[in-house]
Amino acid sequence: MPLTPLQTYFPIGLVLLVGSGLALVLLLLANVLGPRRPNAAKMSPFECGSVPVGSARDRFGVKFYVVALLFIVFDIEAVFLFPWAVLSTELGWAGYVEMLIFVATLVVGLAYVWKKGVLDWAE
Amino acid sequence: MVPVQWYLLLAAVLFGVGLVGVLIKRNALIVMMCIELMLNAANLTFLAFARQQGNIGGHAIAFFVIAVAAAEAAVGLAIVIAIYRTTGSVNVDDVRELREEG
Amino acid sequence: MTNLLSLVDVNLASAASFRPELALTFGTMAMFILDLFWKNHPARPARLATGALLVLGVAAALLVSQPTAPGSLFNGMIATDGFATFFKWLFLLAAGLTVLISAPGKDFPPARLGEFYALLMAMVLGLFLMASATDLLMVYLSIELVSLVSYVLAGFKKGDRRAAEASLKYVIYGGVASGVMLFGMSYLFGLLGTTSIGQLAGRIQHLQASGLPAAATKLTLVVAMVLITAGVGYKIAAVPWHMWCPDVYEGAPTPFTAFLSVGPKAAGFAVALRLFYGALSGPSAVTAGFGEAVGGLPWPAIIGVMSVATMTLGNLTALAQTNLKRLLAYSSIAHAGYLLMGLSAASDRGVQAIMIYLLIYVVMNLGSFLVVILVAEATGSESILDYRGLAKRHPLAATAFAVFLFSLTGIPPFAGFVGKWYLFVAVLDRVPGPGGNWYAVLAIIGALNSAVSLYYYVRVVRAMFIDQPYAEPRQAPATPLMYQLLLSASAVAVLVFGLWWTPMIDWTSASLQIFKG
Repeated sequence: MPLTPLQTYFPIGLVLLVGSGLALVLLLLANVLGPRRPNAAKMSPFECGSVPVGSARDRFGVKFYVVALLFIVFDIEAVFLFPWAVLSTELGWAGYVEMLIFVATLVVGLAYVWKKGVLDWAE
Repeated sequence: MVPVQWYLLLAAVLFGVGLVGVLIKRNALIVMMCIELMLNAANLTFLAFARQQGNIGGHAIAFFVIAVAAAEAAVGLAIVIAIYRTTGSVNVDDVRELREEG
Repeated sequence: MTNLLSLVDVNLASAASFRPELALTFGTMAMFILDLFWKNHPARPARLATGALLVLGVAAALLVSQPTAPGSLFNGMIATDGFATFFKWLFLLAAGLTVLISAPGKDFPPARLGEFYALLMAMVLGLFLMASATDLLMVYLSIELVSLVSYVLAGFKKGDRRAAEASLKYVIYGGVASGVMLFGMSYLFGLLGTTSIGQLAGRIQHLQASGLPAAATKLTLVVAMVLITAGVGYKIAAVPWHMWCPDVYEGAPTPFTAFLSVGPKAAGFAVALRLFYGALSGPSAVTAGFGEAVGGLPWPAIIGVMSVATMTLGNLTALAQTNLKRLLAYSSIAHAGYLLMGLSAASDRGVQAIMIYLLIYVVMNLGSFLVVILVAEATGSESILDYRGLAKRHPLAATAFAVFLFSLTGIPPFAGFVGKWYLFVAVLDRVPGPGGNWYAVLAIIGALNSAVSLYYYVRVVRAMFIDQPYAEPRQAPATPLMYQLLLSASAVAVLVFGLWWTPMIDWTSASLQIFKG
């Protein structure tokens, strides 16, 4: 009997169910059976073993934000590379050159941003 | 296969949520998010119809819309930062220097 | 995979008729690179302006030399035809004047002038694409290109509250308008299975002939078209999508406001004309009446109502304005209303009238904003009070402004009259036909509006020539020679073309060639 599209997802559903069930059971067991003796060192946030500095709810410098904005733009432009990549051999050299021009445009943008000092982290 | 109506319904609801959000929300960041929601609702409609009709054009449009939406988000958020720097708030009600007199 | 290769070949072949746009693309990049040089050089503004003019000049030279035969480029994405070429000249003219205006001014500090020119070139590219887009995807992309640049330029003054506010309002209105337009396009795509503007009319007929429920398909079609109209209406600042206009005009740097009031408005009309008149009326000439469906939609009536609302609201609100930039913003809304009359007429004459009017409008509106810049640089204010006694302080500016304002009103012998005359003739032409009474009503409302507009334009003229100065005139700074030249040239052009309009008529009738795919 052929499976309906929904039925083909059954194994994935099974893995999800077993996986989450197991995690839940283990957490519950640890909670019920484990001894709890809290002290100051244990309750502090874990920062790679160092002594924590300041609050975790801190403000970030706005320059990171600008970098994130640039990342979004350049990252999304990669979306146009995928359809070309799938057919790159069929599109031949003309397609390759078209894509090179596209990437060169982005490089000009990157060079401009760089030269304007947006990527300088330290002031 | 899920019938196309469901996708269209979801898209229409998303669009409505976005539009209402733009009108009633006061935080400029949330307004930006609502605009993105509207764009993605349109994207979903394009994709649903493209799938139904086997028309690859809709998929291509979605690619472009994703890129434009990213650019719009980048510009929009940069402007929100500029607003925050000059007025110290991202509430659109606090931004009311330019208006009719009287 | 020969099919794919042929698509690539089409793209390569299209590049031959795409050279002005390519020049602008590479020119934008070149301007960004130029911006990095001559950091503290005293001649920086002059050099950057020369660079920008060079880019525009190369684009113009390539526009002259490109093949004139109408055709489709890039697999139907854009078209090259006389109609697009006319608008491209309009944009080059407006951009060139804006470059000249902004170079000596104080609105753009020399350090950031290069950025402005680079973005302006990108905007001109977007306008070029708007004028030639024949696919809904291209319409969307080109409008977004123009909009994204406009958002940035509206908030160009760093650390200025009003600039940041203008740009925030612009980006929110613009984002919503483009989202709404895209959603409408997605429904149109689903309904008709195409995004090609040239195929719309045929597909709509096909849809009506199919067995689908007529009421439901028609409703979807109307909704989709209304949503798309929102995107276009926002670009031309037509009621009810005009709210951003006064605030953005006031907050943006004035040279950019000047460009914003002519460039995107003209491009918006190019899109609207191609979409409604070019595509929906199909290959045959329109004979239907005012309220009847053309291409499945009663769009002449919808546009007519929009036109009345736009010009009435624009003119009535302009009456109360005391800030010149806001006054000109509402005046530009009112002018969008007059121009929509030409679209509502849905005839070749109407299209031609819009083209003539836009051509004149570019010169008279840029000239008006130049006077605003001049006065703002002398007094630091845009209030009408500071225009009192301008005739004594600066006779050239006052005289030129009076010429522009009378021309905007549409009084003979100024060029604005010619434009308005052709618009009204296009509407009155339709009066004997079906639904003619409505066209008569439209024309009467248009005439009444012109009368109203006379009041607020003349108020400014009276302030300049008759009223006593509001404050003791300070020692005004010397006017740059460039401003004097531009003012005189624009004023003379408005006067000359008000008396001798044959070249405009010839040019526009030759350009009345919309590629229909």
